Amino acid sequence: MVLAELGNKITKALVTMKNSTILDDQVIDDMLKEIQRALLESDVNVRMVVQLRENIKKKIAAEDAGGFNKRKLVQQAVFSELKRLVDPAGKPYQPKKKHANVIMFVGLQGSGKTTTVTKYALFYQKKGWKTAVVCADTFRAGAYDQLKQNAAKAKLKFYGDYTETDPVLIAAAGVEQFKKEACEIIIVDTSGRHKQEASLLDEMQQVSTAIQPDDIVFVMDSSIGQAAQAQAEAFQKKVAVGSVIITKLDGHAKGGGALSAVAATGAPITFIGTGEHFDDLEVFSAQSFVSRLLGFGDVEGLVDK
Amino acid sequence: LFGRIPFTDKVLDDEDLQPLMTDMRQLLVTKNVAADIADKLCDSVAESLRGTTVGKFSRVSVKVREAMEKALVRILTPKRDVNILRDVAKAKAAKRPFVITFCGVNGVGKSTNLAKICYWLTHNGQKVLIAACDTFRSGAVEQLRIHAQCLGVPLFERGYGKDAAAIAAEAIQHARREGCDVVLVDTAGRMQDNEPLMRSLTKLINVNNPDLILFVGEALVGNDGADQVVKFNAALRDLSDKPNPRLIDGIVLTKFDTIDDKVGASISMVYATGQPIVFVGVGQTYTDLKRLNAAVIVDLLLK
Ligand SMILES: Nc1nc2c(ncn2[C@@H]2O[C@H](COP(=O)(O)OP(=O)(O)OP(=O)(O)O)[C@@H](O)[C@H]2O)c(=O)[nH]1
Ligand SMILES: Nc1nc2c(ncn2[C@@H]2O[C@H](COP(=O)(O)OP(=O)(O)OP(=O)(O)O)[C@@H](O)[C@H]2O)c(=O)[nH]1
Ligand SMILES: [Mg+2]
Ligand SMILES: [Mg+2]
Repeated sequence: MVLAELGNKITKALVTMKNSTILDDQVIDDMLKEIQRALLESDVNVRMVVQLRENIKKKIAAEDAGGFNKRKLVQQAVFSELKRLVDPAGKPYQPKKKHANVIMFVGLQGSGKTTTVTKYALFYQKKGWKTAVVCADTFRAGAYDQLKQNAAKAKLKFYGDYTETDPVLIAAAGVEQFKKEACEIIIVDTSGRHKQEASLLDEMQQVSTAIQPDDIVFVMDSSIGQAAQAQAEAFQKKVAVGSVIITKLDGHAKGGGALSAVAATGAPITFIGTGEHFDDLEVFSAQSFVSRLLGFGDVEGLVDK
Repeated sequence: LFGRIPFTDKVLDDEDLQPLMTDMRQLLVTKNVAADIADKLCDSVAESLRGTTVGKFSRVSVKVREAMEKALVRILTPKRDVNILRDVAKAKAAKRPFVITFCGVNGVGKSTNLAKICYWLTHNGQKVLIAACDTFRSGAVEQLRIHAQCLGVPLFERGYGKDAAAIAAEAIQHARREGCDVVLVDTAGRMQDNEPLMRSLTKLINVNNPDLILFVGEALVGNDGADQVVKFNAALRDLSDKPNPRLIDGIVLTKFDTIDDKVGASISMVYATGQPIVFVGVGQTYTDLKRLNAAVIVDLLLK
């Protein structure tokens, strides 16, 4: 995974620090600069990067009691700050069996919602859940056909309405129908939108109010840059984003912008998209991601001292 | 200390410049210029100022800003102008359709901005044919069919799963017979590192030798933007079997309405390729297509 490249750079900076004979402020500062650089090249939000560096410095200053192993202290501070970046406190929604779990997908234009809706549905269908998808994108040309064709290929139940123009009505009708049919995972695909157009965010809120989803999944493109955080915040302000899926990680982008969105929404990453085909979806665990990212042995020991 | 007004003439050295360049670099990165391109820009501005004299009562920071402004305007000022209507007229005189191919990574807005350009062309009296050569993504053909209907232009399509290069060739033949002025060729999105898909794009270009190859990128993109356009160009060059392979002629930068003042992707992409931004996409309707205004971009970047 390409995000790992970021990890390599950070690990290298930490190893350089570990190997230097003396550990003075200069060495620590150099290491922090290296880390800062790696994060910026990965599109992590500038403000967050500056904050992260400050936090690490503060932690080191506050806890440096001379006798304590300073190298370990520094490493620990870096690790816990990075972990905060990708692993917010919130736990993702866990669908319940024999219950109509309603999941609404939202995100910027072209981020990969419709494709990921299909992947997500197939993921649960393969595990034996009764799954259905609803097309509530009445705006984008061909949106109905796109999800309908995907659903046919993946053998998913599909609801859509080619002539109705109100996404709120379609979403409500689709969810109601599939609840009647005792579906366990009901996924609602919505149009792409952005924070600069308030009416689009209002519409998203209305859909959410109408269908009362158990989880709202925010889909983010891994290539997004510094605009990520403000967009994510705007979505979160309007609806209760509960989880994040980062797409297109089969590309070259390192995904740092999307990570900043995680911090902005406080919602954890649950899956990553790694291709255009329906099985290109991987379960994501922040904990194992960060430990892999940094390649250090006893991760739990490092974090929860 | 810096930005303070010196009371005598002063020859600038690194010590004067470094802290200001650090701030400048951070500003550019905040505005979404790719990190390494911000570095290079700052290095070259520092280089150009090192050893120069600032007069008394003038601020070093003002000099740095002016030099950066100049550098940015230079980057955004095209060395070559792309004049589509003029070139369409030339092709028309030669009794052949003018062919524009759209390419880029997934979901950036190729098909939508193709439709906007179609709208602009028809309003300028051109007879347009749209060729549906994304034969992979579900709904791609229907998406274009809806646009073609709304715009009142014909769509050439052969459904899904077929060879895109062959469909484009057929569409161009068809346009010739029907006396169309312009053919707009839509292609599937693809990741720049995906060699098989880059190969098939190169094939489409080689077989059809379009008049204009537009790379579509989105203004939302971060550090990956420069890499995308550089690698598309590299693939067109390296995977071609022609002695003089066709490369990207210009850039369409979409979703400009979603980034506020974080306009740095425009700098990154142009800096990386030297190709001009031909159009800017500023929304989801047919009229949301603009020309790039370099002065506005530079203002936003340095604000
Ligand atoms: N390579 C790659 N492409 C992806 C991935 N996920 C989605 N895509 C592609 O990205 C493009 C956009 O995907 P869509 O699912 O249509 O995006 P969307 O968010 O529904 O778009 P709108 O409804 O227009 O806002 C399509 O070409 C997809 O095939 C991924 O993980 N990897
Ligand atoms: N806000 C905004 N949205 C845009 C703009 N251009 C395109 N979009 C939206 O971006 C999404 C993707 O657009 P498409 O034209 O389908 O993108 P594409 O590159 O053809 O996608 P694939 O063919 O799947 O790779 C759609 O929801 C468009 O409405 C723009 O300038 N501004
Ligand atoms: Mg969609
Ligand atoms: Mg398309």
